Amino acid sequence: METILEITDLRVHFPGRGGAPVRAVDGVSLHIAPGETLGLVGESGCGKSTIANAAVGLLAPTSGRIVVAGTDIAGASPRVLREVRAQVQMVFQDPITSLNPRMTIGTAIGESLLVRGRAAGAALRARVGELLQEVGLRPDHADRYPHQFSGGQRQRVVIARALALRPALLVCDEAVSALDVSVRAQILNLLVALQARYGMAMLFVSHDLAVVRHVCDRVAVMYLGQLAEIAPRDALFAAPRHPYTQALIAAVPDPDPAVQRARVSVPLVGEIPSPANPPPGCRFHTRCPVAVSRCAVDVPALRSVGAAMVACHLA
Amino acid sequence: MTALSVRDLSLAALAVRDLSLAIGRTNIVDAISFDVAPGEVLALVGESGCGKSVTAQAIMRLLPAAIRQTGGEITLGATSLSNLSARAMRDLRGRQIAMIFQEPQSALDPLATVGNQIAEALRQPLARVRAEVRQMLVEVGISDPDRRIDQHPFELSGGMCQRVMIAIALIARPAVLIADEPTTALDVTIQAQILALLRRLAAERQTAVVLITHDMGVVADIADRVAVMYAGRVAETGPTAAVFATPAHPYTALLLASIPRLSDVPKSALAVIDGQVPQPADYGTGCRFAGRCPRGDRRCVAETPALGPVADGRLVACFHPVGG
Repeated sequence: METILEITDLRVHFPGRGGAPVRAVDGVSLHIAPGETLGLVGESGCGKSTIANAAVGLLAPTSGRIVVAGTDIAGASPRVLREVRAQVQMVFQDPITSLNPRMTIGTAIGESLLVRGRAAGAALRARVGELLQEVGLRPDHADRYPHQFSGGQRQRVVIARALALRPALLVCDEAVSALDVSVRAQILNLLVALQARYGMAMLFVSHDLAVVRHVCDRVAVMYLGQLAEIAPRDALFAAPRHPYTQALIAAVPDPDPAVQRARVSVPLVGEIPSPANPPPGCRFHTRCPVAVSRCAVDVPALRSVGAAMVACHLA
Repeated sequence: MTALSVRDLSLAALAVRDLSLAIGRTNIVDAISFDVAPGEVLALVGESGCGKSVTAQAIMRLLPAAIRQTGGEITLGATSLSNLSARAMRDLRGRQIAMIFQEPQSALDPLATVGNQIAEALRQPLARVRAEVRQMLVEVGISDPDRRIDQHPFELSGGMCQRVMIAIALIARPAVLIADEPTTALDVTIQAQILALLRRLAAERQTAVVLITHDMGVVADIADRVAVMYAGRVAETGPTAAVFATPAHPYTALLLASIPRLSDVPKSALAVIDGQVPQPADYGTGCRFAGRCPRGDRRCVAETPALGPVADGRLVACFHPVGG
């Protein structure tokens, strides 16, 4: 099977305060096919952003393999990483901190083309103009600075910069989370349209399930550094198998009072445990409404259930 | 008095009438009016810069120095807050009207124990009110209250800190609670817990709640009524179910249509609102949404639409309301 991203048994541990390492990502395997969008969802501390950072080589994994477009980047040299980064680009949550305030946006968008010798001079300027138009801005915006744009426009600039090298994989880490509702819709429409036009794959990290459902083909649900469930979008939302996936979907308030108030969902009790000291057995068992004694002892393996892969003894 | 309430004002725990705020000469909130009854949850909803948070600060008389109240009146029960001395206002805060914030961890005192901070809201030493404070921790759903009462905020998760904030706000049984984005910094499963808690406590204690949020899902979940704000004005207000079912203001309608839902068609085009929210310096005369509105015409640019009744307890500020 052809993949653009293949992550195998990835572990990313950070030194912890009390001696025990924080196991941010603890044995995750997943893959993305060319042109496919994989959503990565979960709550704070589940490790979804750590996976995003590792996938673009911003974080060295503790162990495991990360193969991007055929190259294993785990422990790769800066030279190899530089080559791979032409294939994989990233869009972050906060566009203002992603852009150099003293660089015109035209320079920022064209920089990767220039340093890699792909374009220069008038050709570079023309290419930057095209990229600006692709994301809904004007070529003459190239000479402006980030502060002259609104938040939504800045995120368009960041997307144009990420697209400059025509990457095979775009990693979006909470790319629309800082945007207002009406602007978020514009950027989501843009991402969906750009993907349809260029066919790049996306790793779409978000805490917002409605947004993930809107843009993704498959969805991976993480809890405390591990996969709880990974399934095609429609299967996941129509028939979530893992109790955590069920609770997560039930907790999203529906923006329709008639629907929302007719729902009988019992909020999940308890707090998210610390990834430095995860519970034994199934990591979700301390909050799971259906846990049995076995769940506190045996670690559930990810196994096929229907169209999904689920890590639950009871699924 | 311009905008008239369609409800009996004597029922209101908090009434805001024609409130205007300005930075220097630039108007940022323009004659907004709303009221909240005991036990009722009113949501002020809108995007960044619509004036919802400064309105909350004006009610608490906690405005930043650069922002002035240039008009209007805020009444708490029978007391007008606008003419109150700073000292009298200080006595009211916490006792009659309390507030919770978006970032509970930065709103709590990092050096004081949970118990001491809650007791402070009663103006009593913890030793004297320990049983009452412990009971309040139980009410806001904190497990192991005997241990938590002596802990510091850094030992608590974000969700637990927000429960402590709610305990501090409600222990003195204020008539009004202002909640400014209380669940925005929380995870979705924790948000569901906190919203359920707010809804239960408001009903049990008959607290009037003003909920400031940008999240239509949160509004749909717990607000009895909603006021949709745009660029410093109320665009539309009414019972939540009616406003969501048949939005009358084009802004409300577009805003609702631009939200991805668990029920829509994946990858379908979401409704967008062209352009961007104007800066206060560019508000001009007329409807502030006119430049982005699909229904806008010359009249909208020239004249300011007043907030007027449409149907069943609803008010809308639009010359060309949807369905009208």
